[in-house]
Amino acid sequence: MGTTNKAATLEKSRLQAMAADYGVPRMIITGFLLLLFVMAPFVGVNLPMQITNIINRFSWNAVLVLAMVPMIHSGCGLNFGLPLGVICGLLGGTLSIQFGFERFGTLASFGMALLIATPFAVVFGLGYGWLLNKIKGGEMMIATYVGLSIISFMCMMWLLLPYNSPTMVYGLSANGLRPTISLDGFYNQSLASFLRLDFAEIAASRGISLGWLEYIKIPTGSLLVFALLAVLMWAFLHTKTGTAMTAVGSNPNFARAAGINVDRIRTLSVVMSTWLGAMGILVYQQGFGFIQLYTSPNNLTMPTVSAILIGGALVNKATIGNVIIGTILFQGIVTMTPTVMNAMVHMDMSEVIRNIVSNGMILYALTRKQEGTK
Amino acid sequence: MNQNNNIPLNKRAVELARNNAVPIMFIIICAVFIPMAGFTPGYLVNEIITRMGRNLFLVLCLLFPIMAGMGMNFAMTLGAMGAELAIILVADWQIWGIPGVVLAMILSIPFSAILGLVCGTILNMAKGREMITGYILNFFMGNGIYQMIVLYIMGSIIPIAHASIMLPRGYGIRNTVSLLNMRQCLDDLLAIRIQGVKIPVLTFILVGVFCLFIVWFRRTKLGQDMRAVGQDMEVARAAGIKVDRTRLLSIMMSTVFAGIGMVIYLQNMGNLPTYTGHAQIGMFCIAALLIGGASVEKASIGNAFLGVILFHLMFIVAPNAGGFITGDSMVGEYFRVFMSYGIITIALIMYEAKKRMNKSKAGRELAQAQKEEGVK
Amino acid sequence: MKSKRRIMFILLAVLALVAVAAWMMVIGRGHTVYLDNKTLEDYQGQEYKAYERVVITVKDEKPIKLGKRERGSAIWIGQDFKMTVEITEKKGDEPVVKEVSIKLPYSVDGIVVNLPAYLAGLPEEAWYSEFVPAVTETPDEEPGVGDEFSMGDGLGLEGDLGTGDI
Repeated sequence: MGTTNKAATLEKSRLQAMAADYGVPRMIITGFLLLLFVMAPFVGVNLPMQITNIINRFSWNAVLVLAMVPMIHSGCGLNFGLPLGVICGLLGGTLSIQFGFERFGTLASFGMALLIATPFAVVFGLGYGWLLNKIKGGEMMIATYVGLSIISFMCMMWLLLPYNSPTMVYGLSANGLRPTISLDGFYNQSLASFLRLDFAEIAASRGISLGWLEYIKIPTGSLLVFALLAVLMWAFLHTKTGTAMTAVGSNPNFARAAGINVDRIRTLSVVMSTWLGAMGILVYQQGFGFIQLYTSPNNLTMPTVSAILIGGALVNKATIGNVIIGTILFQGIVTMTPTVMNAMVHMDMSEVIRNIVSNGMILYALTRKQEGTK
Repeated sequence: MNQNNNIPLNKRAVELARNNAVPIMFIIICAVFIPMAGFTPGYLVNEIITRMGRNLFLVLCLLFPIMAGMGMNFAMTLGAMGAELAIILVADWQIWGIPGVVLAMILSIPFSAILGLVCGTILNMAKGREMITGYILNFFMGNGIYQMIVLYIMGSIIPIAHASIMLPRGYGIRNTVSLLNMRQCLDDLLAIRIQGVKIPVLTFILVGVFCLFIVWFRRTKLGQDMRAVGQDMEVARAAGIKVDRTRLLSIMMSTVFAGIGMVIYLQNMGNLPTYTGHAQIGMFCIAALLIGGASVEKASIGNAFLGVILFHLMFIVAPNAGGFITGDSMVGEYFRVFMSYGIITIALIMYEAKKRMNKSKAGRELAQAQKEEGVK
Repeated sequence: MKSKRRIMFILLAVLALVAVAAWMMVIGRGHTVYLDNKTLEDYQGQEYKAYERVVITVKDEKPIKLGKRERGSAIWIGQDFKMTVEITEKKGDEPVVKEVSIKLPYSVDGIVVNLPAYLAGLPEEAWYSEFVPAVTETPDEEPGVGDEFSMGDGLGLEGDLGTGDI
């Protein structure tokens, strides 16, 4: 009797611990998403199509979210300086169009964009890393403002740089890039179309009906690229340098005592994050189909930061699992809320809900007492 | 200053220049830009005076959290939101003129106080990263809670009588609310004109009273406590000061006064951009204060005055000057935004670097002391 | 002891603020007064003809000049509406100057006053009517509706970087 009681309480406390580990906001968000899924069929929402949407959006955003991981690992906090990487990607993308690499195919166009973005990412990342080493402890605020500064600086540059590809510049004055550039004929869907699983097409070609499956479309190529990067990241974190990075993040003093060059590791993590940011925006663009310039890089920061936090990351701890779960949860909410809400109450509160969820999650992470460091 | 007398004059000049690098840089920028922009001096003076009346009160609100060592209050936008809620209601009740402004100020106090209370509590939970938390908090409130209230609750739960400020769908407030009937009523009362330059005397009197209040407040028990907390939280706690409460109060005061400042700002503008009005306030006020030579841990009333003048001078002349240099006035517009962000970035970097340097210095001194202790 | 005084002080301050707010609500209520110079036909069998010309001065505003069948408007804060009217009843008459004050109802935004009827000293029902604004449905774009671009988040820079005027 007593033992079973004890076991029950033990079980209970373990469940409680698990719940605490999962975090209340995450539970609310997961519950909310599940509720949306359950309700969707009742209010007449096409669930398979929404799932396709979620997968699609996941494929656009996952690499950007992955870009958070190295800096969190090395203790640089949440990378609010993501726009820096994004700008590098934008430079790569626009230059690839400017030089006309699409002549050699869409993949070449994408590859060259990435290739051009890389030196920018390395140089900017080195400078940014150097800066963040000077101001340890205040990374997040400064990262935010470095991001905003570079965005507004590039706003001037998009107007002043001597681009002249007719698809990109303003028609009449021929100086200054357009805010939105279509990627049709360049690297639009360059990854997504690789091995794409389109059930509607399969059904049509075989002359059979696949029912609800026909709404499902999977951008295999984009997902494969993300999987590759995720595996590489996981592998890297298990190399000697990778474990050193984790050590720097969890206890810099201990790491220093163990003979690790803290500043170098941190710089490396920043360069990695910046490069992944550049890669991430290029993957995003090839899925989305447009390059967006001027102030739009800023619109990606908060959703990306909150995505990894929703996935369960802390300010100083993140795993690949956090990236995947977080991106699915966040994009799930982004996709499902407007459709379900609209179908239910004819009142589109999705934007407000999204803002509350994403910023609330960041707030929660910032106000949490951290174990271990600091 | 007396002990500096034996230092050579040129060295003191260098010291002075180093301590005021930012204002000097901006004076130079303005000096270069003003001739390029080609405005008449009368126009410039008029604009600056107007903008001083409009923004000074808001900028001064930032001083309280700095006193308490909480850095730049990026969440002062919460006060602006409180004021906007109040002004929407006042506009709907059709209270016009000076009474409308006074009512909006009073009505904004409970809203701002509640928002400030929430903000202060959250910032107390995030000690050491108040600024980034405040920054995120203003998005959480502004794009989340405030929008929910104004876009969905007003008109459906909170009664709004006039269709002229409501969205056609029957609830939610329009993108702009006209405040035509309280436009500049505060500024115009007692205003004097000197050679075509309108000086809004009453607004300046309000700012002056606020300045006096700040000077007085620094000397009160609470003001002293705030400064002690700002110096060193642990020492203050040991001295019996309720640290959390003091910090909370400083944020609440900042938020409430920001609400009042926002009413002054809005009556000058004459219309309320419902969803974007508050968004930039925090950023511009902080940039102005920093340009006036303040730093994240130290700011004075003088910094606020100088900052507002320099920042807005740059803001007025930058588009035309940009147009003059590059032939595209958009470049100038982006330039001034870049300058605002840039200056905040640099100030934050200087602050963090200095903090880190002091920390390591203190660490070395401690190590040294311990070593000496060991030798004995 | 000290805290008691403190609470008293705070209560008093709050009360004072509430009192001022209430006072402001009373004295600050704004109205738009529409002044009609129109013939009132057949009020209890009598006709009140529109004046040839009326010049109305409200406070220090620019005088409103009304011909026959014309309407002018003035804004007024508070409920004791005062104006100076200069009436020319028929062509060629000498203008007559009158000081007029009207009590305005608190809860009405727009008040239409028929001048000939009011100045003839008729009861309220004859000269008073409420102004109902014509419902003009201007399509106002709804803010905050999510758009596909950039995930629709107006985070940070609110669309354009520079607010034109701050």
